[in-house]
Amino acid sequence: MFSNLEFFLVEALRSFRRGALMTVVAIGTITVALVIFGFFLLLVVNLSNIVGTFSSKMDIAAYVESDISLANAGVLQLKLSKIPGVLKVDFISKTEAWRNLKQEFGTSLNLGEIIVGNPLPHTFNITVRTPELLSSVAKQVAGFQNIDEVRYSGKLIDQIQSLVSAVRIGGAALVILISFATLLIVVNTIRLTVLARETDISIMKLVGATNTFVKWPFIIEGILIGVIGGFLSFVILKLSYDTIISRISAALPFLPVVTNQTLLTGVYIVMILGGTALGMLGAYISVTRILKAEV
Amino acid sequence: MIELINVTKTYANGVDVLLNVNLHIGKEEFIFIVGPSGAGKTSLMKLLYREERPTVGQVIVDRVNVVELNADQIPYLRRNIGVVFQDYKLLPKRTVFENVAFALRVTGAPRSTIRRKAMQSLELVGMLRRANAFPEQLSGGEKQRACIARAIVNNPPILLADEPTGNLDPTTSWDIIQLLDKINRRHTTVLVATHNKNIVDDMKRRVVALESGRVVRDQQLGGYNV
Repeated sequence: MFSNLEFFLVEALRSFRRGALMTVVAIGTITVALVIFGFFLLLVVNLSNIVGTFSSKMDIAAYVESDISLANAGVLQLKLSKIPGVLKVDFISKTEAWRNLKQEFGTSLNLGEIIVGNPLPHTFNITVRTPELLSSVAKQVAGFQNIDEVRYSGKLIDQIQSLVSAVRIGGAALVILISFATLLIVVNTIRLTVLARETDISIMKLVGATNTFVKWPFIIEGILIGVIGGFLSFVILKLSYDTIISRISAALPFLPVVTNQTLLTGVYIVMILGGTALGMLGAYISVTRILKAEV
Repeated sequence: MIELINVTKTYANGVDVLLNVNLHIGKEEFIFIVGPSGAGKTSLMKLLYREERPTVGQVIVDRVNVVELNADQIPYLRRNIGVVFQDYKLLPKRTVFENVAFALRVTGAPRSTIRRKAMQSLELVGMLRRANAFPEQLSGGEKQRACIARAIVNNPPILLADEPTGNLDPTTSWDIIQLLDKINRRHTTVLVATHNKNIVDDMKRRVVALESGRVVRDQQLGGYNV
């Protein structure tokens, strides 16, 4: 087996060098296809992150009757936090809310001069685990004593919810579609390198080579082409993503772009492994087809 | 060694290339298959190494019914049959030695065995000193010797030669036939398809004549014509 492995490697490298033009074309195709694939993957990851950030900001505001004591409010806060699905409950006292509001208006308008006293109620800010829980939790909160009014942006939440699922489903569909297109392109490109060696294959078959034996050098060549293509597309994508992201962050600082290195590394690993798999699968499919045609 | 029983081969366009052929070839025989182009000589050879399957009939090679072999078994049949072609079918970017070694490599033989056997084979055909030449640097006769070296490197019990002298001048043709005869005397069954009249007449071996896919003559010590 060892001598076979050596033979396969030597044959793969030999054909890799000999078909220089075909090899370059195949690597180029895989690179371009993977860059497009990776671009969409990063786009989907970012879109999903953006809508995810917005939806996670959605919480319930519960206004409390003004005459409640702070001690009772503390008890109420504890009760509210025990509702299933509630992540945390923040208490914002009316004094704090009034200070915040005045700060928001800043120097442009002195609210204290216009309005005498503090018209704001105490407020609980309730964060739920998932956006789907908002309406049911809101209903339960409204049923508590001392709660005056409950507000949450139900309709907006629903819309953002459907946007999130649309982006995720559409993104997944797009990624699958592009994977298929990439595979087709790669298979056909590698097919050309295999076709260029059809005589070799027919002679190998005539002198008694098994199909497995004929396949291996091509599969190794495909892996080699895939690894190089995957690596090139990683370099191209990383450089352009970093550039684009730094521009976007400068222009639109509030947009939550993905800079999480673990996630990005994941995407890049997917691309390099994807390239390898594509090269291997492309070579396998091409050579199997030709071997079938050979009888 | 080789047995064809009621073999008919019909192509998709309805043409019968072989029609009800019965043939028995014994161990270590040397036999000429003669006939005009299109008589079915090449098709008959292809049936033996399962490049083609008969439409009807049985083909037995070394006690194995090759018609019933599945795709996985065909490589092992071919390792027992050396094939020599009119157009040599040498790999152009490889040296003579590499071409011969190739036939051993694909069987997964160890490197030391490959080298020894390839050298022996090249010596037998008189090509040892041309071992490092590329096919394009060889004359027609040398190419055919290289092709024969490759065909016999696995020591197959059967050697098939399809028009081995088709592209060669008379002197070189004679050398090649002498080489095939030498291989035959080393206990190999040899089948030569040819329409080279002089060679068949001079060799005085068993002759099977095909005409439009039928065996019209099977004669010991025969000539090209009756």
